[in-house]
Amino acid sequence: MRTKKLDRWTPLSILGLLILCFFAVICVAPFLYMVIMSFTQSTTLIIHWRDVNFTDFSNFVYVFTKSGFVRALINSIVVVGCSCFFNCLIASMAAYGFEKKNFPGKEALFRVYLITLMIPGQVTMIPTFIIMNNLGLLNTYFALVVLIINAFGVFLIRQFMSGVPDELLEAAKVDGCPELRIFFRIVVPLIQPVLISLVVFTFVTSWNDFLWPLISTTNSDMYTLTVALSLLKTQYQTNYGLVLAGATVSFVFPFLMYVILQKQFVEGIALSGIKG
Amino acid sequence: MAEDRSGLPLLYLMIHNNDLVLLRTVPKSGGTSLTRKRREAVQGILYVLPSFILLIVFCIIPIFMSVYFSFTDYNVMKAPALSGFSNYQKMFQDTYFVASMKNTLIYVLVTVPLQTILSLLFAAFLASKMSKMRAGGFLRSVMFIPVIASAVTAGTIWRIIFNADNGLLNTFLGFFHIPALNWLGSTQTALISICIVAIWKNVGYFLVIYYAGIMGISRDLYESSAVDGATPAQQFFRITMPMLKPITYLVVTLGIIWSFQVFDLSYLMTGGGPGKATVTLVMSIYNAAFKQYRMGYACAQAVFLLLVVVVINVLEDKVFNRGEV
Repeated sequence: MRTKKLDRWTPLSILGLLILCFFAVICVAPFLYMVIMSFTQSTTLIIHWRDVNFTDFSNFVYVFTKSGFVRALINSIVVVGCSCFFNCLIASMAAYGFEKKNFPGKEALFRVYLITLMIPGQVTMIPTFIIMNNLGLLNTYFALVVLIINAFGVFLIRQFMSGVPDELLEAAKVDGCPELRIFFRIVVPLIQPVLISLVVFTFVTSWNDFLWPLISTTNSDMYTLTVALSLLKTQYQTNYGLVLAGATVSFVFPFLMYVILQKQFVEGIALSGIKG
Repeated sequence: MAEDRSGLPLLYLMIHNNDLVLLRTVPKSGGTSLTRKRREAVQGILYVLPSFILLIVFCIIPIFMSVYFSFTDYNVMKAPALSGFSNYQKMFQDTYFVASMKNTLIYVLVTVPLQTILSLLFAAFLASKMSKMRAGGFLRSVMFIPVIASAVTAGTIWRIIFNADNGLLNTFLGFFHIPALNWLGSTQTALISICIVAIWKNVGYFLVIYYAGIMGISRDLYESSAVDGATPAQQFFRITMPMLKPITYLVVTLGIIWSFQVFDLSYLMTGGGPGKATVTLVMSIYNAAFKQYRMGYACAQAVFLLLVVVVINVLEDKVFNRGEV
């Protein structure tokens, strides 16, 4: 067995491994550079270890106190939290309706949902901006959250929903379980794995969203982290340590989320890919 | 947010009222299957309703509004005034828009094939050589890290790495005596630099999709073909690639749709410059709408973007389905 495994490592495959490792290094190196640089005060671009002081948080302190990052961080957390909650709720309700109930025009409507996934967001962006402007909803959490909710969640959960046994729902119905309790007490716990995947997706989409917050927030109190970071970059062009400290703050939350929920990240993408 | 939360009890009430009505009007023994069907239909519609309303208000109506605005002059202050096809005519004489179209096209043509091929090759390698090794899982996790960073974060870091004066990349290349380049400051390399970052950021995502797809292919196929003397290369081209066709379709489709929407990276890294070298289609839309307040003109560009994406999807569909037989 062992020799067989060794046989498979031809010179060509070792070259492949080296290329792969090289790419992996390129994937992490910029982030390591970002973190290390955010602990230096020097204005050079090369890491000089004598300038690096991991106990010196002054860049972070400056970012938080002087440039409105605290407010932006809170905004991002609120927007991401609401996006995840409402996207899961609305998408799982719709997916349940599509998969477990019958109503006329169901599949045609679902096809419309799928088609909307193909439409670039920029096509609807300007009218949406005008609608929000007329309703006085610019600079609100509502505007930032509502656009995150799209048909993707419905599509993703429906894939999973087909695995929920109809007999179980029938049995609950026969026992006189009210409809909404069937949904919240039986269906929702059963689709929990895919809900976690959707939370992960929504988290990353919403946290990283840039163009819509850039347009829909004109009041600096409503900026999200991505917008705040892009402004930091313009304000402090050459203060690289400071800019990268801001980048580190905006990266650390999705990164922690990824470390904790790695499996769900990957499974969610794989699920959407294989069946899509 | 308030209306969403209060929507729930309302929905609950409606479903229950409906139950009551149906129970009262129809004798229990008789046409239960019919009433059950109707009740189920009503319930189904109610479940779908919240997402349907959002879809109508924030996706479908805006598309029609976009199309309508694209035939008007509209600056937000005054009501839109119909102007026929003039926005579309202006578009193709506008050097800024033409440059943005050209850049976006180059960007798509560079990133989509490269990221698709790289992620497929990496996935195939990881699946065939390292699927049982912890190192394989580790490599996959590491390559996914750029995916979770926002384009804003990635753009911020890479702008600094690409810096012409002693930036990390130029210093690194200096070790191999490769002369320093003004990556983002020169019209020749700025767009390519953005493509590199995009590929760097996307490979991990598509790799995960491809990897799952390859792991889904039956091992027997590989084992029996190996017995028949197939080389790894033959296995790749005769088994892996054909079996992955639906996944490649997805990867290419997503890649094209996303790439046409590129904005963040070039906004952060170059701001469209130098000159018009990295202006993208979405940046042109953004500038027309939110810098110049020419909403009608911006909508015309957005509709054009939609048409391009639709046409490319239809063509791609044809290409993929022709080989199907």
